[in-house]
Amino acid sequence: MLPLTHAVTLLLYIGSLILWFRSLQSGGRGRGPKIAFGLAVAGVAAHAVALACFTVEYRQLPLNGLAPSLSTVALTIGIGLVATLGLGEGRRVGIVLVPVVILLEVVAVSLGIEPAPAQLDFEGPWFVFHVTLAFAGLGGLAVAFASGLLYLVQLHELNTKRMGRLFQFTPPLVTLDRLGRTGLVAGFITFTLGLVLGWLWTYNFRQSLDATNPKVLWAILSWLIFVSALGVRAGGGVKERRSAFASVVGFSLIVVSYLGFRIVSSQGGFFL
Amino acid sequence: MSPVSVVGVSHLTAPVEIRERFAFAPGEAEVALGRLRGQSDVQEAVLLSTCNRTELYVCPAGHTGVQEAAERVLSEKAGDVVGGTRQYLYQHDGEASVRHLYRVAGGLDSLVLGEAEIQGQVRDAYELAGKSTVTPPLAGPVLHRLFQSALSAGGRIRSTTPIGEGAASVASVAVELARKIFGGLEGRQVMILGAGTTAELVVEALGRDGIRGLVVSNRTYERAQELADRLSGSAVRFDEMPFELARTDILIASTAAPHPLVTRDGFRQARKDSERGALLIIDLAIPRDVEAEVGGEPNVFLYNVDDLHEIMDDNLIKRRSSVPEAEAIVDEYAHDFLHWHGARNVVPVIRSLRGRFDDVRDAELGRLFQKLSHLSPDDRGLVETFSKQLINKLLHDPMKKLKQGAGNGRAAEFIDAVRYLHDLEPGESASTEGLDPGGGDEEDEEAST
Repeated sequence: MLPLTHAVTLLLYIGSLILWFRSLQSGGRGRGPKIAFGLAVAGVAAHAVALACFTVEYRQLPLNGLAPSLSTVALTIGIGLVATLGLGEGRRVGIVLVPVVILLEVVAVSLGIEPAPAQLDFEGPWFVFHVTLAFAGLGGLAVAFASGLLYLVQLHELNTKRMGRLFQFTPPLVTLDRLGRTGLVAGFITFTLGLVLGWLWTYNFRQSLDATNPKVLWAILSWLIFVSALGVRAGGGVKERRSAFASVVGFSLIVVSYLGFRIVSSQGGFFL
Repeated sequence: MSPVSVVGVSHLTAPVEIRERFAFAPGEAEVALGRLRGQSDVQEAVLLSTCNRTELYVCPAGHTGVQEAAERVLSEKAGDVVGGTRQYLYQHDGEASVRHLYRVAGGLDSLVLGEAEIQGQVRDAYELAGKSTVTPPLAGPVLHRLFQSALSAGGRIRSTTPIGEGAASVASVAVELARKIFGGLEGRQVMILGAGTTAELVVEALGRDGIRGLVVSNRTYERAQELADRLSGSAVRFDEMPFELARTDILIASTAAPHPLVTRDGFRQARKDSERGALLIIDLAIPRDVEAEVGGEPNVFLYNVDDLHEIMDDNLIKRRSSVPEAEAIVDEYAHDFLHWHGARNVVPVIRSLRGRFDDVRDAELGRLFQKLSHLSPDDRGLVETFSKQLINKLLHDPMKKLKQGAGNGRAAEFIDAVRYLHDLEPGESASTEGLDPGGGDEEDEEAST
């Protein structure tokens, strides 16, 4: 049942991606973008079912272990896309988000979506809230990344004075800026809450924070990236462009630093 | 019989001062069409009247009297024209008229290739005829089918080809740019520099819904005031322009000034304390009103006349490249309509033929039952059913072929042949009114039982 639900999920996501690119080729004309978004929503629903099956089968939430965690991050980003439902053309960030979701899900499926071989001492509701909020933060940043990327694309099209299919497909600057700002702020709040919960647990039950732990280092680095991305909106000049750029660079840095930490540290089958 | 005729005048045959004389208001159209039908053999009529064309579609076609009556309606509307109205009118008959309407609905015959407005105008014309209180309705079965399929063809042309893609006029490019920068115009402040008509057209195209404010500034304050009054905006004196610039989102410049009115230094000074976001500048003036360097300022999107024309040219090239694909769709729809119409013509003959066979069957059954008087009612029923099935099977293929042949434009030839072979009188044909040849498939269905 579990492999089947993940296979259906991936098929729906891939179908959505194909339709997004076909819509791009037609400049966003017709019902293509709506159908692509609909397929992505169906993919998110199937994904949620797949992870619910995991919970039932293993009697634990898919938050522990590398593959389940990556799949949950993918689902969170998918939910971020679903949240753009009322934004009209803003939904077209799906053309960036769906490939990210597919990539994460493909990695998770190829690793085998099973619980981690060892148990963590950090578990229970503290752990669930900590991880869920942190993943939601990453989902928010992913939405900001997608909006920022499309913002820069649209800005380039406007500055080069071309009104081709890319220009037609890409949402308005204002929409992208609003969406990026919302994703960034919501992501920052949830990510910060997730870190605070983790810190509180560590303080209460371990009495000290292991500053050399790659997970802690990565969390602090990610939080600083969030702060920086939000900080560039302050001050004069073209804050929208700066913010878009910061979201793109910030999300990329978080991904790169995560891969770096995974390579240099021994993970023992955990997310980090 | 030719299905439809069209008589009309368009941007291809007449200048605007002539076209406007042919233009009908919706109320006038209904009266004129009602009168046309009352005074001629016209059974169905739809009038399409837009700023670029006035066309009268009439049915049945092929009668000189019908076409003359249609021409008369248009000429009466235009009144006295030097040299007469005929020099501006065109006329299509039969397949050409069908193809013409499909091309019109698809925007292939429009002044701006692929423009979308015509689709709505065709729908309005058809609905006006359909809703008319005149009885029977002005749009009967033939024009109903023709206009429905024309709207469908137009929709398909626009959705499957890039014919309507990209803005193709200065005003629509400006609207598209504003939409892609600001999302919508809600809460936006617009300023017009100069009181030229081009800027006015752009503002008209932008639409006034949601715009927070519209300001007109011109060296001659009175002209600014005039334009502001027309556009429900407000006028400001020319020396106040920099203050307005600070809170403007969209600037449309079209003065006749010999030098730039908005310099980079002046612009920086005007917007230095401004917390506003993007500024879209459409500079329609020659020489330019806005220094090119202003376009390099942060969050400024400056487009001059050359930029706009380059965009329009690119878009028109893309649109033109889709014409063959659109024409293929027109061909397909025209073929379908003509097939439907041809098949429609043979329905009365099919009915006559079936009636003739049924008469023979009834007579022969009567004679048979007299000789076989010992048959029980059940056996009689079986014989009767057998006879019906035999007739159905014998008629199935000829009728199918007849409809196919008629759909391929050989209706008259086939109808004559069937009448001759079966000695059917023309008067035996039932009325075609309201018959749908699709419904003629009942013969096929019966035959297969």
